Amino acid sequence: MAKWLKILISVFTVLLVVGVVVAMLVGYFGFISQNMQDDSERHLVEIYEQVNQSFNSFISRNWGILSSCSDYYTVLKQNNDPELNTKFKEFVLGDEENHLFGKKHDVDFEEFYFLDPDRKYYALSDNSTGHFESGDLSDMIANNQKILTRDTPIRDSKPAVDPDSPGSTEESAGQASEVIMFAIPLGTGYTYNGFSFTAVGISYTNAKLAAKLDAVAFKNSEGFSIANSYIIQPNDDGDVLLSPNVGGDVTRKYLKYMKGVLRDDPDTFARLREGVKSIKKTEANPHPHGYLSYTTKDTDGKNVTHCVIYMPIDYGDYVLISNVPQTAVSQGFLQAQTATMRVMLIIFSLIIAVLLVVLIMRIISQSRQSKKELLYREKMFDVLSNNVNDIFLMLDPATETVDYISPNIERLLGIKVKTAKENIRTMATCAVDYNIIIPNEELQSLPMGESRSWECEYMHQATGERRWYRVTIYHMNIQKMEKYVIVMSDRTLDKQLNAQLEEALNAAKSANEAKSNFLSNMSHDIRTPMNAIVGFSVLLEHNADDADAVREYTRKIMASSHHLLSLINDVLDMSKIESGKTSLNVERFSLPDLLEELNIIVMPQAKAKDQEFNIRTNGTPPDEIMGDRLRLNQILLNLLSNAVKYTPDGGKIDFTVQELEESAQFTKLRFIVKDNGIGMSEDYLKEIFQPFSRETNSVVNKIQGTGLGMAITKNLVDLMGGIIEVESEPGKGSTFTVELSFALVQEQSQDAWFSHKITRMLVADDEEEICLNIRDMMHDTGIDVSYVTDGAAAVEAAVRAHNHNSDFNVILLDWKMPGMDGVETARRIREQVGEDVPILVLTSYDWSDIEAEARAAGINAFMPKPFFTSTFFQTIKPLFNEPAEAAPEQPANDALSGKLFLVAEDNELNAEILTEMMDMEGARCEVAKNGKIAVEMFLRSEPGYYDMILMDVQMPVMNGYEATKTIRASEHPDAAEIPIVAMTANTFAEDVQTALNAGMNAHLAKPIDMEIVRKTVAQLLEKRQKGESK
Amino acid sequence: MKKSLVLLTLLVVIVAAVALVACNPNDGENLDPNAVTIMGKETDLNKPYMTEIFEHYTTVTGKKLNIIKVEDNKFEDAAVARMADPAKAPDILLHFNNADLSRFNVAENFEYLTDAEWVSDLTDSAATYCRDAAGNILGLPFWESSVSGCYYNKKLFDEYGLVAATNQNEFRNLLNQLKEVVDVPLLWPAEDCTWMPQFALDPIFADDPTLLDKLNANQIKYADIPAVKRMINWIHTADNSNWFGNAALNTGWDDMAGQLASGKAAMVFIWDTWFYTDFSGVTYTKDDFALMPIFMNTLSDGSGTYEGGNLNMMMVNKNSTKKKDALAFLNFCAQPENYNVAFKGIATVSVFKQEVSNVQSHMVTDMQASINALERPSTASIKIIGYSADDVMAAINKLLRGECSVDECIAQMDSARIARAKALGAAGF
Repeated sequence: MAKWLKILISVFTVLLVVGVVVAMLVGYFGFISQNMQDDSERHLVEIYEQVNQSFNSFISRNWGILSSCSDYYTVLKQNNDPELNTKFKEFVLGDEENHLFGKKHDVDFEEFYFLDPDRKYYALSDNSTGHFESGDLSDMIANNQKILTRDTPIRDSKPAVDPDSPGSTEESAGQASEVIMFAIPLGTGYTYNGFSFTAVGISYTNAKLAAKLDAVAFKNSEGFSIANSYIIQPNDDGDVLLSPNVGGDVTRKYLKYMKGVLRDDPDTFARLREGVKSIKKTEANPHPHGYLSYTTKDTDGKNVTHCVIYMPIDYGDYVLISNVPQTAVSQGFLQAQTATMRVMLIIFSLIIAVLLVVLIMRIISQSRQSKKELLYREKMFDVLSNNVNDIFLMLDPATETVDYISPNIERLLGIKVKTAKENIRTMATCAVDYNIIIPNEELQSLPMGESRSWECEYMHQATGERRWYRVTIYHMNIQKMEKYVIVMSDRTLDKQLNAQLEEALNAAKSANEAKSNFLSNMSHDIRTPMNAIVGFSVLLEHNADDADAVREYTRKIMASSHHLLSLINDVLDMSKIESGKTSLNVERFSLPDLLEELNIIVMPQAKAKDQEFNIRTNGTPPDEIMGDRLRLNQILLNLLSNAVKYTPDGGKIDFTVQELEESAQFTKLRFIVKDNGIGMSEDYLKEIFQPFSRETNSVVNKIQGTGLGMAITKNLVDLMGGIIEVESEPGKGSTFTVELSFALVQEQSQDAWFSHKITRMLVADDEEEICLNIRDMMHDTGIDVSYVTDGAAAVEAAVRAHNHNSDFNVILLDWKMPGMDGVETARRIREQVGEDVPILVLTSYDWSDIEAEARAAGINAFMPKPFFTSTFFQTIKPLFNEPAEAAPEQPANDALSGKLFLVAEDNELNAEILTEMMDMEGARCEVAKNGKIAVEMFLRSEPGYYDMILMDVQMPVMNGYEATKTIRASEHPDAAEIPIVAMTANTFAEDVQTALNAGMNAHLAKPIDMEIVRKTVAQLLEKRQKGESK
Repeated sequence: MKKSLVLLTLLVVIVAAVALVACNPNDGENLDPNAVTIMGKETDLNKPYMTEIFEHYTTVTGKKLNIIKVEDNKFEDAAVARMADPAKAPDILLHFNNADLSRFNVAENFEYLTDAEWVSDLTDSAATYCRDAAGNILGLPFWESSVSGCYYNKKLFDEYGLVAATNQNEFRNLLNQLKEVVDVPLLWPAEDCTWMPQFALDPIFADDPTLLDKLNANQIKYADIPAVKRMINWIHTADNSNWFGNAALNTGWDDMAGQLASGKAAMVFIWDTWFYTDFSGVTYTKDDFALMPIFMNTLSDGSGTYEGGNLNMMMVNKNSTKKKDALAFLNFCAQPENYNVAFKGIATVSVFKQEVSNVQSHMVTDMQASINALERPSTASIKIIGYSADDVMAAINKLLRGECSVDECIAQMDSARIARAKALGAAGF
């Protein structure tokens, strides 16, 4: 349910509860108010019925008292005796128990008057005379009525002196105040102290009499009456006979006053006036009353409700009317109402408070939950945005104010969040292509609710790293605020993958194309030698009688066969490498030997093209290292052969071996093959190591090649954990650099040198770098190396040393030095120093041509370049009366002659070729068509019958490996010693190892090279003779 | 730029100086050195009978008079300063016989006029007013005299069937009754009409002079006088009961006539002459008003009081070089043929016995007997040393604002009175 709907329901529930409670309160208070009003009226009626009754009794008592004196009046009428007058006065005014107005009667009048019909009076207390202001009194006397009226006695004269009168006072004439008069008519003939009277009366002040109207129930704590009670005439003005006691007698026209009070409520006033005027006692209703209430505002603006009760009294038309604040009438109810209201309000407040608390708690809980969720979302979003490469923004379109930007913008684009927030346009500076940035005007036209996307490349401002983003901008209305939400989705990986895929596709296409080219080339390359072989074979057959022609055709067939064989070797090699089946055969080998072999192989090729070929060392490459000599040789030979192949005649090829770093166990060597040949294009350099690739140009097309050499080289380098790099420029040549690491073998100790008393040597070479290199290489031997850079200097140094009786132990001379060459230098040294000092010549050239001359000049030995300490040591050891290790004995050309071979070969043609070739060497062969037959033939043979077994590997029934194992495991006396040589087309290193593991003694690759066969057989037979065959 | 600024500043200074000179009536006055100089409040000297007597004097004698009128609120300080400077001191100073007069060192600066011929022509009330504590006549009371009491709208009372109160209780009832029918039962212009409390204080000290003596000797304080507390209590009750309406503190002199003339207010403590000089109305005219005593509960028997007239006196500078001419001017004013010219038609109680040209207000004549019985001479403001109507009203207004209690109000009244008495150097303070 939507959050706003929940809040709406909650608010509605609260309002409903409040409404119900308010309705209950209103109903309750309406009921209470009505009851209170009814009760107020009953209460007032009850009270003022009592007041009315009391006042009526008071009136009756006054009249009764006046009437009860009739005997005295009669006396006064009959006897105008002063003494009697005095007694009467005492009887009337005395305060004794038996006096007329004493305590017995409980009256407290102000004055006793004798009245005549002419408004005149005689005041008994002070014997004063005067008249009443109003004529009403006289009229009532004349009408022989009992009198109750309000009038003002106006004194006419000073009172007659009456020393005995206790109430006489000295008041000045003219003073007058209104009094309330009770009087009764007596008739004529009555006289008192000379004053003829027809009625007697007593007077009360308003204040005294008004107290009779006070209701005890309506007195406040100070004793003041809260109610204002009047006796009024029921006329329009409501003439007041008796006004309230409180505060004095100031209201004389009650209805006039009420008209003013109710000036804003004329209807109520009209009801009051008509009610007062019309209320009468009847037989049916002997106790009528009227009641109404009205509300006015006090000066503070508060509403004040008054209750008015009125009823007729028992005299005349007078009406008792009382005005009481409702608060006084219904005080109890009000208190109850107030208490109830408070209780209800408390309950109501508690209910509301509980509801509010529940609502607030719920809102707070929801708010907290929302905040928590929001916080979590923010945290998650922050974490996500920090760990993804997508950028999120929200901005105000009108002001371009950034409301939010994910913090990873600094990591991804190098823009600080603060900077981006201050000016979002700073992001545009990161865009690589400004044209892609969508213009603001176009964004403004983006319809609400829609989005637009585009891709743009951005560059990190600090690192320059480029990233592709798919920018999607959403035009949204968020809480009535127009916003742009921008999501920059990182597509860099996609782009890279696409690029890689495209590259791979191109590579695949290229490879496919290369294979196509390869097949085409292979077709050409295979067919070419095959064509030569087939062609010359035909010619051979045709000219079999021409010995010279036969030899020539045979030589060309052999050349074509070797080319075809190398082609097949390359293809197989590449296939082997690509299938991941190539392994390294790590062994100890001599780096100088390797270089010498290379020199032997390459130098003639270079020489054939009149190229200059130099081999140098840089640093102190070790003499012996651990590694796959065969593979290293293959790598270097590939590079050097290519250099020779692609360098025009007369060019130059430099081969440098450089030691980069050396530790206790390893050395890292760099091999550099540099030529100034035709070079390669930049495009071809990118795919030079791809298999089956060859650059296509007029020069290369003329050169034979499979396009696999460099791929094989690269893969071998990779296999050996090295790197290969190439730099080339068309027409200027190429430089291949190979870096490989090799494990070191134990170096020769210094003792070896000193044991031969070699402590000093002289080196002479026109290239000082070579001199220094030799000195560095000899450093660890402890030999003191002096060098000079020309022949003359060498002679001079040798002579000087000789003259000081400190001849050099060895003198090493470069052959080709400008000026005086090595041979001449040696000759002159011998002339002046003698024959004792060994002189060696260091050269990278074939010295066979000059050997005789050199030895004649006194040169003891030759050393190939580059210089290696091990080679040097081996070279000079014989010169110090210690023969050098015997060179391997060259196999005799008749090594095979007279030997009997067991040949296991399933291919009859191969068996025939071998048999024929062995036969040419004077050897015999017995052929077995599979391994099993070979085993059987061997087991059947007499001991020593076979000199050697030549075992094909892949044969039906039993292969060569199993046959070898069987033979070795047999009990034939020759089983352990008879040499078994693998003779197979499986030519890889692992094939060799497998053969050896199976118990074979050597491995010969097909096609058979008889020179190798001869050499191998000789070695094996020699070993067998020495007992080392196993 | 700088030059312009200097010129502008100079111009402003000149304009300000001219304005100051123009605003000060004492400077630059063109006084006739041979004429008698009379100094008084601007309002007082503009009274019709005053201007009339000045013109009449010039007409009859051919002599000129120098009249220096000072703004009312600056008068006292200006008068004291002038009297202290013989070169500028007026020959005649018009001043009430009130507490402020003590600032002038009357004995040294003013001529006692007890033996003047016209003293016998003064009514007893007037003569009493003009005497100092030693009985010396300080000046000629050439002023209107009125009766201060509770003036009520009788016509409005009749409309509502109400009659005037004759005692404190009736007055209380009357106020309560009026509260139901009018906005302001008793107009109490607290803003600036400071005289009202003194009406109720008069009977306290007039009826018992010993209280006055003790108060002036600093032997007792207001706080020691129950009647004072009853009065302040009554004012507090009146305010709490809204007998003053609900805007007394914001009602002033300027509001009085309007509220009474409209019937918004029913009663006010004022003097009868005010209805002739400052009141005009359509709904209710001055003829609709009547007089009853002032009831502020200071009298224990619940009776009320009236205050007799406060008279401005022409006091002669004792040290003036034209003292003779000044005395001659006073004699001129005190002649019946002259003062009857000046007061012709003026509603005032007679100050001179032979003053017959004036008119008596019906409000006073109707209540003459009551006035005769209950009137007290103005006592509080004149006789109480250090009394200031402003101080008293300030304390009462603080009470009305609810900022102090009744006792604190009385304490503030005492404090202010004692401070002024000390400033005057009164003995005992």
